[in-house]
Formats: sequence, C-alpha cells, structure tokens
Amino acid sequence: MDFGQNVFLVERICGICSFIHALCYCQGIEKLMDVEVPPRARYLRVIWSELHRMQSHHLWLGLLADAFGYESLFMQFWRNRERLMDIFERTAGSRVIISTCAIGGVRRDISPENLQYILDELVVIQKTLDDAVDVVLNDRTIRARTVGKGVLTAKQALELGAVGPVLRGSGVAVDARTEGFAAYGELGIEPVTEEAGDSYARTKVRARECYQSLDLVRRAIERLPDGDIAVRPRGRPDGRTVSRVEQPRGELFYFMGADGSARLDRLRIRTPTFANVPPLVAMLPGCEMADVPVITLSIDPCISCTER
Amino acid sequence: MMLSRVLSNLFSRPATRPFPKTSREPVEGYRGAVEFSQEECVFCGACALRCPANAIEVDRPAKTLKFDLFKCIHCACCAEACKRGCVQLRSAYHPPVYQKPEFEFSGAPVLAAEASPATE
Repeated sequence: MDFGQNVFLVERICGICSFIHALCYCQGIEKLMDVEVPPRARYLRVIWSELHRMQSHHLWLGLLADAFGYESLFMQFWRNRERLMDIFERTAGSRVIISTCAIGGVRRDISPENLQYILDELVVIQKTLDDAVDVVLNDRTIRARTVGKGVLTAKQALELGAVGPVLRGSGVAVDARTEGFAAYGELGIEPVTEEAGDSYARTKVRARECYQSLDLVRRAIERLPDGDIAVRPRGRPDGRTVSRVEQPRGELFYFMGADGSARLDRLRIRTPTFANVPPLVAMLPGCEMADVPVITLSIDPCISCTER
Repeated sequence: MMLSRVLSNLFSRPATRPFPKTSREPVEGYRGAVEFSQEECVFCGACALRCPANAIEVDRPAKTLKFDLFKCIHCACCAEACKRGCVQLRSAYHPPVYQKPEFEFSGAPVLAAEASPATE
C-alpha cells in the first residue's frame, strides 16, 4: 500500500470515528508534503467530522440508557442516530466507512440539495435529542447512579493523561479542535467543560457536545465557500511529523515517518480510549460493585481504539 | 410528556421497515455493486494499480481482468481511476451468494463464472 492508499487502512481502525482517523492521517501527510487544502474541502471535512462526533455520542448515550435498562430511551437515541447514518449514505456513498477524505482534500462534494437535506434532518434530530437528553440528564434513577460516582479530579485527570470528555468532565478545557485544524479556526470553538468530574459530568459533556456539533455543522454549511474540493499532491512525503485531531472519545495522535518512497517508513497511532484507561483505574477504587459497569462505560470505551 | 409519547407510539407507524416485503429506495451515489463494462475496457490496468485491496488483477499482454468481489472494499478508487468509465459502482447491494464468485473477462469478452452477481 502506498501512502495515498493508507487512508483506507486507517479508516478501518474504528468504524465509529472512521472519518476522523482519515482526517488525522491526511493532515499529517499534507504537512509533510506542504499541501495547501482548498477552503471548501476544509469546511466539508468539518461537516463530516462533526456528523461523526454526533453519531458517536448518540451511540454512547444510547448505550448508557441501555446500561440502566432503559430500552426505549436506547432506541430513541439509536433511531436518531439512523438519521445521521442516512446523511452519510446520501452525502458520502457509504454509511460507516465513508472514505471521503483524501490527501489534498476530499473525494466528494456535497450538492446544494444535500446541504439543504442535512439542515432539514438536523431540525428533526435536534427535536428528538432535546427530549431524550432531557430524560438522561434529569431522570432520578440515572442521576442516582451517576452523580458523584467515579470521581476524577482535574489534577488526577491531567497527571494520568486523560483526554476528551473524560478530561473536560473534570473541568480542564482542553480540546484539540481549538488549535484550528481543518476549518475549526475560522468557525471558532469553545471547549465544553463540566466541573464535577463524575460520571454525570462526563455524560453532560457528551450531551452538550452533540449540540455543539449541531451548531458547528449549521455554521459550516452556512459559510461553506465555493471552489475546488481537492488539490493533486505532487511528489512523495519525506520527513517525520505528528498530527493531532479531536475524536469523539478524545485526542487522536498520529506519528508518521516517511523516507521519500511511496510507502511510509513508520506510523504510530495513539487512540483516545487507550489514554483513558489509566484514569479509569483511578476512578474505580472505593465504588460500589453495581456502579462498575456505568463508571467503565463513562469513559466511552471503544475496543477497536484500545486494541493498538 | 410520557403520556403523549405512549399515545403517539401506539398510533404511529413503526419506525422500522418490514424488510423483505418492502425495501428502501436506493440512494443516489451509494457505492454499491461494482460493474465492469467489458466492451469498453482496454486492459490498461489503472484500476488494478489504484485498488487498495488488490481486488482487481489485470494481465495486460493476455488482456484479462479478474475481479475478486470478496476482497473489494467499495472505495470507488477503480471508478475514479478509469479514464474510459468502464468501472462503475451502482447504488445497489451485491446479492448474497453461496459460493465466492470470481468475475473474469478477457479481450474477447467471455464470462468465466456464469451468473456472476457483478453482472446481474
């Protein structure tokens, strides 16, 4: 596989955040090859990234409801998630591994009709989300099982290298998107944080991030510039670099080395769940046995993420 | 709120579709079944070169093309690479099969595997 074909390989690391893996890889290679990505491609990358974040958080919120035995609520979240998957199918041509990111830009454009379709769907998605999130955040049973459970202080979170909603749930405002990759710099983003550091705070961060993503997609569509969607990269990558992006579960980190040949010399990937395992070990001591599944779930563990 | 949800769920249609009876309208632009146009192909090998999964094998001197459906990842790189538009991805699924079919054709268009799903 050459460096361009690797995009399809890294996408398959995780199906839930496949686009963001490809984005991280492409940004690293673009840095090595000095490729300037056209503005429209950068905005399209934000749209697909945020839709991926939303569907991942929907999936997780559904699983949380399922962990409490709230089957109906689980179905509500997953039914809403289906709408997001349909958006991928219509705009990218595939539901899970969307394969739209490429070195130098994106492989597909979104037509004006499909942009309107996304906006229309987002209205329905937001309405269902309002109802379902209201139950997750205010239900007495869920609150009793999450508030004050699995507390991680800000100091512990930083020391143990927590990332993503686990870190932000402890009140640390760190989000790789604030560094402004793709079009995040132009769109502007404020990290979502909660102070408490318990399972409830992490749930609330993810629920609020769904709304943040809704807002980002709407603003990206509104400000989507015209023009090319990709540039053809010339030559081959040479050198070593790192690339960081924000995944639904936290910061994703790629280290890549190339020696000027068609194949990469080295590729090291650090996924967010892997970074969130040490904080999980710090959350568990002293908790009740029945709370272990919910606390474990609160870091949003992804097996394909952990298996590096 | 609870009562209105219960009532609406009682009287609304199900959210799911009774699949074999009613199937969904195919979505335009879906990367589905891979189709080769045998008459147009000049066996240049561009599709095989770009394929990340090595699902296509082209023998230029012998003028043959082999396509392994079970290796294909439906990325549409072959369709992008083909200058003559011989490879296309239809917005439909490949039908399920009992055996692993291999689609093959040569300069004089001949189908090696009969009833290959890629040609249906």
